[in-house]
Amino acid sequence: MILAPEKGRALIVIGALASVFSALAFRLFDLHILQHKELSALAQANREQVVHRQGRRGSILDANGNLLANSLSVRIVTADPTITAPQAGEIAEKLAPLLKTDVESLTQKLSGQSRYVRLNPRVKLDDAAVQQIRAMKLKGIFFEDQLVRFYPNGPLGSHVIGFVNAEHKGVQGIEASMEDYLEGQAGYEVIERDRKGREIRALRTEELGPRDGDDVVLTIDQVIQHIAEQELDKAMAEFKPQAAVIIVSRPKTGEILAMSSRPTFDPTNLDATSADARRNRCISDVAEPGSTFKIVVCSGALNEGIVSLNDQFDCENGAFMYAGRILHDAHPYGVLSVEQILFHSSNIGAAKVALRMGPGRLYEYIRRYGFGRKTGIALPGEVSGIAHPVGRWTSLSITRIPMGHEIAVTPLQMLMALNTIANGGTLMKPMIVKNVLDPNGKPVFQYEPQQVGQVITPRAAMLMTVALRKVVSPEGTAPKAAVPGYDVAGKTGTAQKVENGQYVRKYYSSFIGYFPAADPEISILVSLDDPTDRAYYGGSVAGPVFRAVAEKVAQYLGIEPETPQTQVARLS
Amino acid sequence: MRRNRKRDYLRFGTVTKSLMACVCVAAGGLGYVWQKNAIYRLGDQIKGREAALSSAQRRNTMLAAQLARLQSPALLEARCQQYNLGLVAPRETQVVRLYEPGPEWDLQMANAPLPAQSPARNPTGRMLAKR
Repeated sequence: MILAPEKGRALIVIGALASVFSALAFRLFDLHILQHKELSALAQANREQVVHRQGRRGSILDANGNLLANSLSVRIVTADPTITAPQAGEIAEKLAPLLKTDVESLTQKLSGQSRYVRLNPRVKLDDAAVQQIRAMKLKGIFFEDQLVRFYPNGPLGSHVIGFVNAEHKGVQGIEASMEDYLEGQAGYEVIERDRKGREIRALRTEELGPRDGDDVVLTIDQVIQHIAEQELDKAMAEFKPQAAVIIVSRPKTGEILAMSSRPTFDPTNLDATSADARRNRCISDVAEPGSTFKIVVCSGALNEGIVSLNDQFDCENGAFMYAGRILHDAHPYGVLSVEQILFHSSNIGAAKVALRMGPGRLYEYIRRYGFGRKTGIALPGEVSGIAHPVGRWTSLSITRIPMGHEIAVTPLQMLMALNTIANGGTLMKPMIVKNVLDPNGKPVFQYEPQQVGQVITPRAAMLMTVALRKVVSPEGTAPKAAVPGYDVAGKTGTAQKVENGQYVRKYYSSFIGYFPAADPEISILVSLDDPTDRAYYGGSVAGPVFRAVAEKVAQYLGIEPETPQTQVARLS
Repeated sequence: MRRNRKRDYLRFGTVTKSLMACVCVAAGGLGYVWQKNAIYRLGDQIKGREAALSSAQRRNTMLAAQLARLQSPALLEARCQQYNLGLVAPRETQVVRLYEPGPEWDLQMANAPLPAQSPARNPTGRMLAKR
């Protein structure tokens, strides 16, 4: 039995307790029901973290599966200068030898104002160096994984391979044109960390793994690319041109085996090169082709049946007056057959063949060979060249275009035109990518040789080969381009350069050729922009370079020599 | 007597049931904790293996890059020069090409009275280059 005063006290206590518990209950209700959304989101945000993982960028391989570019995850050292500033000099002295940098610049970085600075963005640290730095237990120094693009061959094929920017996106070459395949897809994980910041793996709630990028296999062969670049360097040293290019291809398929350009650059050291050196001159530079263009005129005329190889033209002893202007030959010639026009490279003879063809048909063949439009090679930065329609021709054009003036072409366009003749009259689309492989090595995409069209008949192509074989004979313009043991068909070109609208005494020297002539395996273009030493004729400057490349490529590919001289040499 | 029976009943019935319930709850609790612990341990193992896999993949990529660098034609050539190995590509006249034998070739050889004086061309036209 509770007495009245005790009852009152009890009620007070009960009331107080009830109030406290009511307040607590209300608070709980407030936290769990009324503020549930905000607070649970806040709690989740404190606990959980979304971590993005970048997929590895695909590799670039040569035709034989050799690595040309891949992405490596490297450790980079970062620092928080607000922590390192007091001992910046001391830390810099310890780190400088390991990071292969100088103490002054490192001290400057370590004593900056920001809270994050990368100490070795360009130097790959090996595991030993990482361990050494860890052992130093330096305050404010951290490690971070970063993807870097690695080019094992340095500058080899850099114009084709291209390079990536700081965000690991392709900027030039295959890196840019095949970006959609090469680029990996990022994944993410929703994780929770413990007190020490380590992930609690069991509490990982969501996980979408990154997808590595596809590998791109090129038609480029790194050995042939090396041969081409080696010979290009020798030519640069010997003739000192402003620029030079070599392209090696398979005429039957349009596969590009090597594509090199000088000046060049090292994709691992972009800061040291100019934008000019990074330009792929094989596809982005146009120039008047010079006499190499005679193959277009003569093959067109042969195809139309307007001329035969034996038809004779009076080459006016080296000076032909047409439309009030005199057209000259390098050497005076009298009457020449079409075959002789080709191997003596007579401008007058080619002009007369073109006059017989007429501007309409000449223009038609120019377009059929693919001039004035992009070849469609899978490389960025290709230009169309310039091939004016007949309506914009002057009265002189019909005599100037056959000798490769008043038209501008890229080296690749010129080589593809020659390939058409080597390939029985069929123009092929140039191929630089062979296939695309997924990260497990399974083919995703297979590129096949593509025919653009039949430009001339196989018979006309065969007749052209007969004539072009003599270009490398002793009476032709390029005996120095002859490759012992192989039947070479080719054409020289020596085009005057235009500066400020005037022809100047500077030249583009070029040679395009293929071999074995009867069943072409390889075609090569060599072009030098303004060779400054000694000779400038295509046959004497580009011809020997062609020969050197052709000899080595033939040996490397095991192309059997065919000519009788070799048989004799072999037997002896 | 009646009270004693009730006590007995409580002792052997309710207590046993309570104990059983407690054991079950405790076992359930322990099992839960054990399972949770196992999940965490498994998580740690997975994490460890993930790290090992990632590390192996990274090392693999590194080694592939290193191998590619060592196979680089420019580097190989430089090494040849550095160590004076005198390794150069053979000249065409130093290459002996052997004709690949085939059924027609075998027949021709079987019918031949004497060994051939000069290299005869294989009727199949297929050749084997030997350097």
